[in-house]
Amino acid sequence: MTVQRFLLATDRISAWSGKAFAWLIVALALVVGIEVFKRYILNAPTAWIFDLNSMLYGTLFMMCGAYALAQNAHVRGDFLYGSMKPRVQAALDLTLYILFFVPGILALAYAGYGFAELSWRINEHSNVTADGPPVYHFKTFIPIAGVLVMLQGLTEIARCVVCLRTGEWPARLKDVEEIDVVGTQLSQSEFVDEESRRVAEHAQDIQDAAKHRGLGESGASPETRDGGRN
Amino acid sequence: MSDPILGLTMLGLIVIAIMMGFPTAFTLMGMGMLFGALAFFDPAQHWWENKIFDLMVQRTYGAMNNDTLISIPLFVFMGYLIERAALVDKMFHSVQLAFRRLPASLAVTTLIVCAFWGMASGIVGAVVVLMGVIALRPMLNAGYDVRLASGAITAGGTLGILIPPSVMLIVYAAVAGQSIVKLYAAAMLPGFFLASLYVIYIICRALINPQLAPKLSADQYRVPVPDWLARLERGESKRVFGALLLAVLRPGVLAGATTPAGRPVSFGFIFRNFAAASVPLVLVLSLFCLTWWFVLVRNAPDAMLPPEVSVEQTETLQAPAEDEEVKELGAGEQEMEEQQTTRSGPLGDVAPRTVEEGAPEGFYERFWTAAAFMAALLLFYYWRMDGEQLEILKMLTSSVVPLAVLTLSVLGAILFGITTATESAGIGSIGAMYLAALQKYQRLTLWSALIGAIVGASLGSIQGETMTIIISGVLGGLFTGTAVAWGRDLATSRRLFATMKESVFLTAKTTAMVCWLFVGSALFSAVFALHGGQQVIEQWVLGLNLTPLQFMLVAQLIIFILGWPLEWTEIIVIFVPIFIPLLSHFGIDPVLFGAMVAVNLQAAFLSPPVAMSAFYLKGVAPKHVTLNQIFAGMMPYMLIVVLCLVIMYAWPGMTLMLPDFLYGR
Repeated sequence: MTVQRFLLATDRISAWSGKAFAWLIVALALVVGIEVFKRYILNAPTAWIFDLNSMLYGTLFMMCGAYALAQNAHVRGDFLYGSMKPRVQAALDLTLYILFFVPGILALAYAGYGFAELSWRINEHSNVTADGPPVYHFKTFIPIAGVLVMLQGLTEIARCVVCLRTGEWPARLKDVEEIDVVGTQLSQSEFVDEESRRVAEHAQDIQDAAKHRGLGESGASPETRDGGRN
Repeated sequence: MSDPILGLTMLGLIVIAIMMGFPTAFTLMGMGMLFGALAFFDPAQHWWENKIFDLMVQRTYGAMNNDTLISIPLFVFMGYLIERAALVDKMFHSVQLAFRRLPASLAVTTLIVCAFWGMASGIVGAVVVLMGVIALRPMLNAGYDVRLASGAITAGGTLGILIPPSVMLIVYAAVAGQSIVKLYAAAMLPGFFLASLYVIYIICRALINPQLAPKLSADQYRVPVPDWLARLERGESKRVFGALLLAVLRPGVLAGATTPAGRPVSFGFIFRNFAAASVPLVLVLSLFCLTWWFVLVRNAPDAMLPPEVSVEQTETLQAPAEDEEVKELGAGEQEMEEQQTTRSGPLGDVAPRTVEEGAPEGFYERFWTAAAFMAALLLFYYWRMDGEQLEILKMLTSSVVPLAVLTLSVLGAILFGITTATESAGIGSIGAMYLAALQKYQRLTLWSALIGAIVGASLGSIQGETMTIIISGVLGGLFTGTAVAWGRDLATSRRLFATMKESVFLTAKTTAMVCWLFVGSALFSAVFALHGGQQVIEQWVLGLNLTPLQFMLVAQLIIFILGWPLEWTEIIVIFVPIFIPLLSHFGIDPVLFGAMVAVNLQAAFLSPPVAMSAFYLKGVAPKHVTLNQIFAGMMPYMLIVVLCLVIMYAWPGMTLMLPDFLYGR
């Protein structure tokens, strides 16, 4: 199905860029750790470390926005939503994507461009310390993230349309989930019998059922459940 | 065109909009954009010149520069790594053996392991599901009451989001413009108080009605004592600890004995066992030494200020400058909301009272009393120690102690103002990587850590202070141990690398979720303030002439009810900011309020019929356990939380004692 291939292709772009920038967390931890050593032990603090830290953190979360959207990881008030039929969900989502999502992300991409451009033009530097590092490239990530999230948002809109037509949510890319830790832990455990260990296989379903407080047993949120097709 | 009515409409609509299930970050963003465009509407302009676009970008940049939120990815990362490195199942087994003589030992163990592991991970769903597998079956098999068993799991599982280091408190700190350290200090005592109330409740229930929690039969918790240890037990000194000490000095005592692996007992083997046996002694000793150092050396009036304090202060002085920059770049209208949204940062993270009149009053008496008490306890413990005890201690040392040391030192470093929260979180993440390495490559990690510790200590001796040498030794060991083991892993099997990848990606998703939510809410509250909605609410609430008690009751009740359908992220980011400006009118400390909100959400997450953890548990429980039984099991814990809230309000000292002591009023 060509539509599905298009959906997964943009998903992959978002996931790839998000995962690439996700590694900044390791960089952040190392930078903080080394700075602690330098500052407290060698008594040689670095002036621009404060800026570097917030750049790493800011870039990390901005550039992972599209990835989170592609994985449906943004928190939803899904108490009622979870018990609706996929078509109703899609209709709601479609309306709200156009009404809420598009204007805000448009602002990021469009006004963010002007914001970053001004910064480049005036060769802006951070004023946390006297000769702070430049911040224009940091600000440039705002429009870039805006474009990426917008691209993913358009994909989500396409998903809604597909779901309105077929009555079923199209699949997403398979990715690591919070609940997966149950499997990791149980596979290494020594005092648990084989039968209990098999719980890990349907941990995902347990999570879905719990999220909807038992209201939507009838295939409420298939989008995460059959995501393993890819 | 700005109008308080529009502001109130926003507030009313946001509740409905959130319930429609759209990703909340974008719901907030969209509402902010639409109502902001109305506020900035100017017929002379094209729509695309509307100032709301600039405001949106400004708010985003504000969140990207927020120095409170910066510790979120680090703590989250640490949590995900620990979750994969520390084995719950081993922890449960060893803690249960340690507590085997307590009434309802399995339930008490469940609660403690839940809280302990939850402290690090903070993901309710995962904790409940995992403990549902590991703890529920043993409890039911032992004949425990279903309600008692399920209550212990669900209540313990939710504790993790309250006890620091918790991400929820960081988000609250960012929203309320408070310092993370103060909130952590404030949540400490209530968190542990609540946990101990739970434990007391379980033990009392079991004492009153032993049928609820029958004792395990003796053979179910018998620990096999290896042959060589049994020989020591029968030996000349009778006391295992003393005998071990003797054996270290004269390895010939154990000539001919074999280890469980079948090899003859070597000196290294005896020494390792002796080291494991002395772990409690070392922990207690270092705790007392640290206290002594902190109170008498670090806070001493005449001693030179340690270097880190001055650095922290310069950083603090620079923070306002940065805020001003954001203001200058922003549109003029933001002044108003600037005050109530994202003011935060190291302003509050100031170092603790560094100038103090010698030791605090009564310090010596209290210190020596505590020391004498602990010494007596240790003496008793070592006197009573037999082979079984030693085996249990060895299990605890390998499963619980590393994680406990890591968590406590991260918390301790924050609370005592030795490092900022961000720095502790960074070190904590590296510590979590170390733990993961220790699990897989024990020998390599330990040896390289030893070498690193020596190198670090010699580097630290440039400065010459004892404490610096110790800390640099610890840091050096941590860094080297981690680097060598991970390097080896990357070069060979990449087993650790796989868990690292999982943790990194999960961290990215969670951070993006929380921080984008923060971006949305920053825009939303900016526009809300622009319309004057906040003032209307303030005037209205003040017009009601509530007493502080009534206000507190109403506020907590609202948050409690919101906790049913919503997750804590949404409540803290969207609704708490509405209460914060009101607190000063009623003379309520925002730190106390934050701690109470955190405790309150515990009750909300334990309240039938919507509590999510019950459904998680139902998912893993055997078929015969019904949802109603789980809910019935949760009810008493919910009442305990309410009791805890009452005590917290009636006696603010419990919450504020620690922050006041550490950072002054």
